Amino acid sequence: MISNMLRFPLSMFDDDLDNWFFPESRTVSRRTRAGYPPFNVGVTDKNVDLYLFIPAMDPDTLDVVIEKNLLSVAGTRKLAENDEQQGSYSLKERFDGDFKRVITLPEDVDTDSVEANYEDGVLHIRVAKPVVSQPRQIQINVN
Amino acid sequence: MSEEKQLDLSQQKQPVSTAGQADAEIMTLRPLADIKETPEGVSVYLDMPGVAKDALDIDVDRNVLSIRGAINLHTPEELKPSYMELHSGVFERRFTLGDELDSANIKATLKQGELVVFIPRSEKHKPRKVEIKVH
Repeated sequence: MISNMLRFPLSMFDDDLDNWFFPESRTVSRRTRAGYPPFNVGVTDKNVDLYLFIPAMDPDTLDVVIEKNLLSVAGTRKLAENDEQQGSYSLKERFDGDFKRVITLPEDVDTDSVEANYEDGVLHIRVAKPVVSQPRQIQINVN
Repeated sequence: MSEEKQLDLSQQKQPVSTAGQADAEIMTLRPLADIKETPEGVSVYLDMPGVAKDALDIDVDRNVLSIRGAINLHTPEELKPSYMELHSGVFERRFTLGDELDSANIKATLKQGELVVFIPRSEKHKPRKVEIKVH
């Protein structure tokens, strides 16, 4: 038993050292303790773009709702259930289970104009800004 | 031998100053991982969202397995970030493989941002059932 604990076929020396020496080091796990899935938001003149980092999901099982400037994403990540092969885990860091995140969008949006794509485990949601809040070039007339 | 290697790598990661540390930490992200062991071998599952197959590098140098993948979100050029939880564009993580693993026969699959790396045990290290004959 003890010999098993001491002898892993695979070890994560870089991580272990990081944790000892730099407990505040910025890793995915530390940064995203706020919630799953982690996300980035950016804006262009016409749209608000959200990128949710949510790998290995069936996008059909994701529940994405947008209301005013609030967007919520909910779903279940079933890592263990999808795993047919028996074995013992020596490390388990990845998120497993139910999640829900509500995101406040940085600007007003037109909830009728939403596009969502899932690629390489990233859910990209593009919501158009209302036309009134899009910047307009003003023509200056010279009299 | 392997101890030496480990030390070398750990020192590379050690920043010289606090300012250096901040820079170094922003440069790469450590992907979250699960590791599962079976009699046949070891499977490493890594979350690497945004990494396409051609942006992924896996290599083994002696007993160190290195995994590196660049995130490409195909963002529009004029996009101004307003909130970010993932800052770096590169995932990177290294693992030391035990001698009982067969690093020449590693298999990897990447699907929707989830990388699965399987490292088989060498034949001689697979557990064998010993039959006890009773006379």
